[in-house]
Amino acid sequence: MGPWFDYTVNGLVVGNIYALLAVGLALIFGVANLINFAHGSVFTVGAYLGWTALHYLHTPLPVTILLVAAGSAVVGVAIERFALRPLNHRSRIAPLLATIGVSLVLDQAVQLIFSPDPRALPSQLPDWRLPIGGVTIGALDLLIAGVGLTSAALLFGFLRFSKLGWAVRATAQDPDAASQMGVDTNRINAVVFAIASALGGVGGLLVGMFYNSIDTTMSFDATLKGMVAMLLGGLGNVPGAIAGGLILGLAESYGIALFGTSYRNLFAFALLILILMVAPNGLFSRRRELPPEPMTGTFVAPSRPLRLPRPALAAIVVVAALFPLVWNQPYVLQTLTNALLMALLAFSLTLVSGTVGQISLGHAGLLAIGGYASGLLALDHGWPFVASVPAAGLSTAILGTLMVLPALRMTGHYVAIATLGVGEIVSLVILNWTGLTRGPMGLSGIPIPAIGPIELDTPRALYWVVLVLVVLLGLLQVRLLSSHLGRTWRAIREDEVAARAYGVEPLRYKAMAFAFGGFGAGIAGAIAAHLYSYINHETFNTQLSILAITVVILGGLGNVLGAVLGAVLLVALPEIFRAAAEYRMLIYGIALLLLIRYRPQGLLGTI
Amino acid sequence: MMASLLEITGLTRHFEGITAVDGIDLAVQEGELVSVIGPNGAGKSTLFNVISGLDRPDAGGVRLDGVDITGRSPEKLARLGLARTFQHGRVFANLSVLDNVLVGTHARLAAVRPGWRGFGPLGELLLAVVRPGAVRREEAALRSEAEAILARFGDRLVPRLDHPAYSLSYANRRRVELARALALRPRLLMLDEPTAGMNETETTEMEEVIAALKATGLTILLIEHKLDMVMRLSDRVLAMDDGHSIAEGAPATVRDHPAVVEAYLGHPANQRTAVA
Amino acid sequence: MSFSRRSFLAASLAAGCTALTAVRSRAEEPILVGVSGPLTGPNAQYGAQWKAGFDLALDQINAAGGRPFQYVFEDSQSDPRQSVTIAQKFVNDPRILAELGDFSSPASMAASPIYNRGKLLQLGITNSHPDYTKSGDYTWSNCLSQDDEQPSLANFVIEGLGRKKVAVLHLNTDWGVACRDRFVESAKAAGATIVATEGFQSGERDFRSTLVRIRDAGPDAIVIEAYYADAAVIVRQVHELGLKQVIAGVVSIYSPKFIELAGDDAEGTYTQGYFFPGEQRSEVQAFVTAFRAKYGQDPDWFNATAYDGLIFISRIVNQFGASREAIHEGIAKIKDLPSAVFGKATFDPTSRRVSAPHFVRLVVKDGKFAAWDGQKPKAI
Repeated sequence: MGPWFDYTVNGLVVGNIYALLAVGLALIFGVANLINFAHGSVFTVGAYLGWTALHYLHTPLPVTILLVAAGSAVVGVAIERFALRPLNHRSRIAPLLATIGVSLVLDQAVQLIFSPDPRALPSQLPDWRLPIGGVTIGALDLLIAGVGLTSAALLFGFLRFSKLGWAVRATAQDPDAASQMGVDTNRINAVVFAIASALGGVGGLLVGMFYNSIDTTMSFDATLKGMVAMLLGGLGNVPGAIAGGLILGLAESYGIALFGTSYRNLFAFALLILILMVAPNGLFSRRRELPPEPMTGTFVAPSRPLRLPRPALAAIVVVAALFPLVWNQPYVLQTLTNALLMALLAFSLTLVSGTVGQISLGHAGLLAIGGYASGLLALDHGWPFVASVPAAGLSTAILGTLMVLPALRMTGHYVAIATLGVGEIVSLVILNWTGLTRGPMGLSGIPIPAIGPIELDTPRALYWVVLVLVVLLGLLQVRLLSSHLGRTWRAIREDEVAARAYGVEPLRYKAMAFAFGGFGAGIAGAIAAHLYSYINHETFNTQLSILAITVVILGGLGNVLGAVLGAVLLVALPEIFRAAAEYRMLIYGIALLLLIRYRPQGLLGTI
Repeated sequence: MMASLLEITGLTRHFEGITAVDGIDLAVQEGELVSVIGPNGAGKSTLFNVISGLDRPDAGGVRLDGVDITGRSPEKLARLGLARTFQHGRVFANLSVLDNVLVGTHARLAAVRPGWRGFGPLGELLLAVVRPGAVRREEAALRSEAEAILARFGDRLVPRLDHPAYSLSYANRRRVELARALALRPRLLMLDEPTAGMNETETTEMEEVIAALKATGLTILLIEHKLDMVMRLSDRVLAMDDGHSIAEGAPATVRDHPAVVEAYLGHPANQRTAVA
Repeated sequence: MSFSRRSFLAASLAAGCTALTAVRSRAEEPILVGVSGPLTGPNAQYGAQWKAGFDLALDQINAAGGRPFQYVFEDSQSDPRQSVTIAQKFVNDPRILAELGDFSSPASMAASPIYNRGKLLQLGITNSHPDYTKSGDYTWSNCLSQDDEQPSLANFVIEGLGRKKVAVLHLNTDWGVACRDRFVESAKAAGATIVATEGFQSGERDFRSTLVRIRDAGPDAIVIEAYYADAAVIVRQVHELGLKQVIAGVVSIYSPKFIELAGDDAEGTYTQGYFFPGEQRSEVQAFVTAFRAKYGQDPDWFNATAYDGLIFISRIVNQFGASREAIHEGIAKIKDLPSAVFGKATFDPTSRRVSAPHFVRLVVKDGKFAAWDGQKPKAI
C-alpha cells in the first residue's frame, strides 16, 4: 500500500480529535445558537483535571474519565449559569463576547494554578500499536474514535427518543415557543452545556494523553479547529460535526502530502472557504431553504445610543490634542497611540460588524496587509512614509475586499468563521510566500515614520499624527453613516431579507463597507509597521482580531465614538492592571465579563 | 383582453415531502385588487415568497407585465416595481420611522448611484461623502415624499418620525411597513395579512387606506384572513388549501363555494375567523 | 506610573512575589534592571523559566553585598504593542539602568528603536534573529546567532554520528528558519545530502503525516530545530511510526522537560549544549548546584541564559559603574564574564553578541542527558 493510504490513516486519526471537539461545539450551537469560544478552554481544563486526578489520586483510566467528565460538566454549567444566562434575550452578540471572556478567565486560572510549563500526562493504556499500511495506530487512537462516535450516537439517540431530548430540540427550534409549552429552557441550556463540556473535557484528557503533553496554549487551537470542523459539517449538526472533523483531518494530511508541512493550515483553510462557496451551509445541511420569518427581534438588541452634543465632542478632541503639552509622559503617550491605532482598526470593524452586521473575526488580517504593503514599499522601493501609508490603505481596501467576498455571500455565524479563516489565510500566505514577504524572517528595518524630512521619533509626534487620522477617519465615517449608505447598511444588519425586498443588493453594500473599512485598517497597519520597525506574520494575529471585536462590542456596535472609547479602555486596562503581573489578564477577563453582564449593548450603545 | 400585469402559471414549491404551493395559476390585471384566502398552512405566504423572488419555484413561471421574472432576485424585482410586506411585519427595528420608509425608496435612488461602469460602488461611496447638490436635492425630495406617505396614516406616525421602529406599537409597525412599500412607488403591491393583530378600529383604518390606494389605480395582491374585509375590497378572490387552488372568481362566489366552506370548517382552528 | 501601582498594590501583594513589592521593602535605593517578557499569554512558560533564572542570579548578586540589585518584570505577552509601551516606560524611568528581553522577535525588535533612541542597553537573552542586534548600538545579545551553533550541530551529525542523508524538521519562525538555513549550508559543505526540510507552526502537535513525508524521503538522520516541548512530541511520534533514524536536535531541546514529556522515547536523542550539568567547568557547576538547591530540579537553557543576563549586568556595573552609559561602555570592553551557558563569555563589539563558545555533545541515556561517548550509532 502506498503512502496515500498512510496519509489517509493519519488524517482520520487526527480528524477524530477535531470531531470530538466539533461535536460539543455543534451541540451548543444547535441549542443556544452560539459559537462557544470557551470550548477550547474547557478542553484544557479537562486535561488538567485529569492530570490532577492521576497525579494525586492515581485513579485508573475509567475513574479518571468519569471525574474529568463530571468536573468539566460542572464548569460548563457554571459558564451557562453565571456568564450566559444573565444575558438572555439582551443581544445576540453579547453571549459571544461572554464566551471569549470566560475562555480568558479559564486559561489564566489554569495557568496560575498549574504554571504555564507544559506537563506530561502519561497514557494509562497498554502500549501496543497496530501496524496498518506503513503507519501504526494505538489503543488511544481507537479510544478517541470510540468516544467520538459513541457520544455522537448517544446524543443522536438522546435528542431523537428521550423526553429531555425532545425538549432540547424544541428549545433549539424556538426557545420562546418551547418555554410557553412549559419547557424549562434554562434547565435545557444547562443540560446542554453540561453534556458538551463533559465531552470537551474528556477530549482534552485523551488528547493530552495522546501527546503526553498538556499546556495552557492548547485552548485556542482546539477552539479554532473544532469550529472549522463544525462549520464543514453544518453549524449545529451533530453527526455532521464528526464528518467535518474527519474531513478537516484528511485535508490537513493531504495538504502536507501535496505541498509540505508549512502549507498544512493554509490548505485546510483554503479548502474551508472553497467548500463554503459551493455549499454555504456546510456539507451536510439540507438544501437551501428560506429562514423562518422572525417573530420578534433582529440582529441587535434595541438600544438607545448615548449621543454627545457637538461641543462636547469638540472639547474632547481639543483636550486630546493638548494633552501631551501638559503631560509629556512617553509611556502614557505610547499607550494612547496604541489605543488610537486600535481605534482605527475598530472603526473599520464597527462599520462592518456593527453597522452592517457582518461579524468579522479576521480583521487583523487587514492590518497585516497594510503593514506589509507599506513596509515592502518602503524597504524594497524606497517609498517615503507619506506615500507608502496611503498606498497601503488602498491596497488593503482592494485586496481585503476581494479576499472577503466569498465570506460576505454567507449569512450569520458562517460569516464569522469564514472571516476567521480569511484572517488565518492572510497570515499563512505571508508565512509561505517567502519570495515576496521574506516568510518567517519577517520585515526588519522598516524606517521610522517621517513626514518629509521630519522624523516622528518622539511618542508625542506620533501620537498627534495618529490622533489626526483618528479624527479625520472618524468624521468621515460619521458622515457616511448619515448618508443613504448609513441607513442602507443598517437595514442589511436589521433584516437582510426585507432589505433585499426593497432593492438593496447586500453584497454590493457589504463590499463597500469592507473597502472603506479596509482603507482605514490598512493605514493603521502601515503606521504600526513603521512604529515597530519589525513585523512578521504573527504581529497581527487572530488574538488581535478577537481583541478588536471585543473593542467594538464594548463600545457599542456601529458606534464610532464607542470604538474610540472601547479601544482606549481595552488597551489601557491591561496597562493599569500591570502591577498585578501574572494576575493581570485574569483581572482583565473578569472586568470584561462584568462589563458585558451589565452593559450588553455596549458602553455607548448601538447606532 | 390586454396582458395581465402579473401572470402566474403552474407555480409549484415543495418542502421535504410536502407541496406548499401546487400548480397555482393566477392573473392579475392592472388596477385590480385580488385577495388570496385560505386556512393557515394553505401555502399563501409561500406563494408570496416565490412571486417576490425570496424563494424559487420548483416548477411553473411568473411574468410581470409580460416579462418572465421567474427566479429573479428580490432586489431586481424591487427595481421592476414589485413591493411587498411580510406576514409578521419586518421593520428595521433600530432604524427610525423615517429611515425605514426611506429604505423603501432605495430602488429609485439615481443621483447618488451614478452607475459608472465597473466603478459604481466607488462612485456611490464618493458621492455619499461629498454630497454634491444633485445628491442633496434627491435626498430632500425623497424625504418629503416619505413624510407625505406617512401622513396617509393621519396622526399615527407623523409625530414619531424619529422614533426607532422597535418602540412602536404592533399596529404602527404594520403601518410603517406599508409606508415603506409605498415609498417604492410599486406597480404591484403585495400585502401579507396587513391587519393581523390589529383591533377593530385599527383594522377599519387600514381598510380605508387600502381602499384609497386601490382608488388611485394601484394593483394589489392581498393575503387576508378577515373575510368581510376581503369581500368589500376585492375584485376577485383566490382560495387555497393544502397548496392547491380550490376556488377562484368573484368574492361572493368564492365565499359560498362548497370547497371553501369545507376547507375552513374542516380546520376547526380557523372556524372563528371564517365566521367573523 | 505610580497611580496604577498604588491602586494595585493589593493585587501585587496577593501575587506575593512580584519584584515591585520587593523593591519597596528595601531601604537602600537599589539598582534596577527592567525585564520585558511574557508572563501571560502563549509564551508564558518561557517568562516563567526566565524568572527562575533571574531569581537565582539575584540571590547570588545580593548575597555578595554592595548596593542591592533588583529587576522589574513587565509582562508584554510577547506582543509588540505592549513591548513598545514597556520600552517607553523603562527608558523614561531613570532608575532603570539596563533592560533584558523581550522573548519573541516581533516584540523584541519593535522595542529596539525605542531603547536605542533612549540610550538604554537592551540585552536580548534569547534573541537569535540575525537582524536583532542590527537595530542599533544599544541592542546586544548573549544568545548566539545560529552562525556558531548550526555548523557545530552539522559536524556532530555528519562527522560525529556518521550520517549522510538528513531530513530537517524545523519550527517555521525566524529562529527555526535561521537554524535550518545555517544547518543545511554546513551539512552540504560537509558532504551530506538534505533529503527533506519541513517547517511546522508553533502549537502544532500532530506530526504523523509530516513524518510519513520524511520517511518516504529516506533519510538516515532526522534533525529537529525546535524547542523542547515540540521536540518531545516529535520524537514520540517518530517512534510511534516505527522510524529508526538517528534523531538529533538543537540546543534548545536540552531541558529536563524534554525527557519528562518524551518519556522513554527520548532515549537515544542526540543534542549539544553550551552547558551541561555533568560538565566540570566551575561556573557551570556552581550554577547547576545552586539551581538544584533552590528549585529541586535541573536547569535548562532558558533558565541559564536568563541567569547569565542578570549576572552579566551586575558584573559590568561592578566594574564600570552604575549608570546607563557606563553599562553601555562596559559591555563592549568587559572580558571573560562568568557564564552558566558558556563558562566564560566575552562580547564582540562588532556583532554585539558573545563570541564563539565550545559545545558539549550529549545523548539521552537512561532517562538523563549524558556526554556522548563518541560511539557512532549503528546504520539502519
